[in-house]
Amino acid sequence: MISVTNICKSFHGKEVLKGVSLDILEGETLAIIGRSGSGKSVLMKHIIGLLQPDSGTVTVDGININNVSYAELRSIRQHFGVLFQGGALFDSMNAFDNVAFPLRTFTSMSEKEVSNVVKNCLDMVELPDVGKKLPSELSGGMQKRVALARAVALRPRYVLYDEPTSGLDPETSNTIDELIQSLADQLNVTSIVITHDMHSVLNVADKAAFVHEGRMQWTGTIPELHASEDRILKRFVKANEYLIGV
Amino acid sequence: MKISNELKVGLTIIIATTVFILGIRYFEDLPLFKTTYDLSAEFDNAGGLIPGNLVRVNGVTVGGVNGVQISRELGKVLVKFHVNRDISVTEGSYVFVSGIDALGAVRLDMILGPADAPLIPEGGRVTVNTETGLLGGLSAKAPGMIDQFSHVLEGLDTVLSEAGTMLSEPGSDLRKTLRSVESSVSELESMLAAERGRVSSILLNVEEATGSINTLASTNGPAITQLIADLNKTITSLDGEIESLGKASRNLDLMLTKINEGQGTIGLLVNDPSMYHKMDSTLNSLNLLMTDFKANPGKYLGEMKLVDIF
Amino acid sequence: MIAVTKKLLLNPFQALGRYSQLLFKAFGAVPEFGTYKKNLWEQMVRIGVDSMPIVMLAAAFSGAVTTVQTSYQLVSPLIPRSIIGSIVVPSMVLELGAVVTGFILAGRVGARIAAELGTMRVTEQIDALEAMGLNSIGYLIVPRVIAGIVMFPILYIAACFVGIGGGMLVGHMGGFVPMGEFVDGAREFFQPFDPIFGIIKSLVFGFIITSISCFMGYYTKGGAEGVGRATTQAAVASCVFLLIADLILAATLL
Repeated sequence: MISVTNICKSFHGKEVLKGVSLDILEGETLAIIGRSGSGKSVLMKHIIGLLQPDSGTVTVDGININNVSYAELRSIRQHFGVLFQGGALFDSMNAFDNVAFPLRTFTSMSEKEVSNVVKNCLDMVELPDVGKKLPSELSGGMQKRVALARAVALRPRYVLYDEPTSGLDPETSNTIDELIQSLADQLNVTSIVITHDMHSVLNVADKAAFVHEGRMQWTGTIPELHASEDRILKRFVKANEYLIGV
Repeated sequence: MKISNELKVGLTIIIATTVFILGIRYFEDLPLFKTTYDLSAEFDNAGGLIPGNLVRVNGVTVGGVNGVQISRELGKVLVKFHVNRDISVTEGSYVFVSGIDALGAVRLDMILGPADAPLIPEGGRVTVNTETGLLGGLSAKAPGMIDQFSHVLEGLDTVLSEAGTMLSEPGSDLRKTLRSVESSVSELESMLAAERGRVSSILLNVEEATGSINTLASTNGPAITQLIADLNKTITSLDGEIESLGKASRNLDLMLTKINEGQGTIGLLVNDPSMYHKMDSTLNSLNLLMTDFKANPGKYLGEMKLVDIF
Repeated sequence: MIAVTKKLLLNPFQALGRYSQLLFKAFGAVPEFGTYKKNLWEQMVRIGVDSMPIVMLAAAFSGAVTTVQTSYQLVSPLIPRSIIGSIVVPSMVLELGAVVTGFILAGRVGARIAAELGTMRVTEQIDALEAMGLNSIGYLIVPRVIAGIVMFPILYIAACFVGIGGGMLVGHMGGFVPMGEFVDGAREFFQPFDPIFGIIKSLVFGFIITSISCFMGYYTKGGAEGVGRATTQAAVASCVFLLIADLILAATLL
């Protein structure tokens, strides 16, 4: 379980997070929603300790990650898989090596075992034949799927998705959403999806947390979201519905 | 075949290190693979020798100077050097510092002893000879001086012969001839004065050299033969110079005779008194004019006074 | 106005502070050899072996040019021709070998490192490394800096070798100075400390170029434009600090 307690963060005098608190329970799929620039990505980076809060704490499984050594922090991070916005595949390596990278770095698996796991992961994201290709030879959606395969290669307990469907066409977005769902089911992971795509939220999430102007505006389950009377949340959801168009 | 990164890097490093070590040994003048033969010598004055200077035998580089240090217990300068192993440095070999310190081109010259004498052991001392440096200095200086001397004489010779031909042509320009004669005579004069000093300095040098030969006579036969040959050559060329000096004097003699006899324009000028008379009378008239001016300035300055008032 | 002045005054110190911090972290990551072992070999090949041809080319030409210019300037018959050798070899060993290599590496290696790390930063690849639990400084910066420190002296040796060789060859072929005299002149004034000094210099240059470029790349901000800026800054800053270090080393060690 991850709890974020009252964190504040500012960059160059500009306050981005103004006291955000959030609890993420084991096994659930939480969507953090909000407009662009509301501080969602910054919040995510705090959860894996890539950023240090100015005040407040982040605890993962009861350990305050702002208060541990770098080595300990790194070992905690190995419980996380992160899918970055642009995929963040290492462009000097082909798809296979990208997925194999965490395995080779953090496990003592033989090359044969690595190969098996990588194949398994690539099958899971329905891209069994791209192993030899470089990231630059893959489409944006494919890059994200390979990156997803890499994120789950070490069987993490938590998977963070940063805007998994942004910049993709609706069909590819649906594929990604399905993948997120099936991974959550198959691997029994806790998923945190950061998105502004309401369609995606309704597809995959059990719960949603709405961040607005650096504050936690609203949290609740999906049915609660539909029933919510929060004005700002309603406006956000409505805007998205127009966008989806149907 | 794909060469692995490790192999590429390893090979590059090994090759570079080898090149580096061999390169340093090459420029330090150490034989690349052979060991060297270390020797030393005690100098009163190292004459600007520094580590890295070359060691030569008969003008061939055979090694280098390793170190120059003042030895307190010996009260002298200890010069350590090395030579190639194929040079056999026997008893009776000696070394001296040569070259010009100011240009930084100092080196250690070594004269090898007789081939049948026993070898000086590794690290042994080689005798030092300081006299040899002086002799070397003289034989280096002499040819240059003689060259210069003959150059001046040659110039004089051509000037004089030119003047002679000009004198026999009555239509030639007077001023040109006069200038030529004047400069020629002064050149001859200054040269005669200068050469007197030089000749005496040559004699002094020869004297010095003879002194050196005397001290050397017991130690080295072939060098003296060489020196005598050099001196012979010097004397032969000196003979030639004296001959041309004689020729120059004869030319001058001839010219002066001609002038005296009133031949050519210059001769006429020297022997004709009318010009002198004319100049005399001109000066007299000028004198008179000045006296008159002093006595009656008003006569000449009347008009200027008017200007002064207004 | 005051804000701008404050920024201008503070920025260099801030940058220096962050640079030292980065170096400190990198130094701490050196013992984790396993993190960067594989990368180290690759970087050594990329920084060292792959730079060999261009460094050698530049060095050969600078050696040749030095020879030609030295002989052009030494026209007095009083000075022996061998002096050309005693000028060309020390200039190559003391200065040109290291500095020419340095400038080429600042352009070739420095710019590449900054562009590589800068792109990794703006496409979140560095964050991805960190998020996996890897020490990104240890993984990315340490092998590059070590490769620079190890391979730069190797390139320096190659540059000197080719440069002196080029000078000798041009001197011989161009009729400026025969090879034998060239070598004699070089030997006459050869100081064994000169190449050692050159090696020290190239170690320092290797460190400066790679560490500055890593710093510029690692802290890139602002997309493609930021990468471009980091690349330029890396090359320029490497050259500038290389010259400063050159002067300091010459003043303290010679």
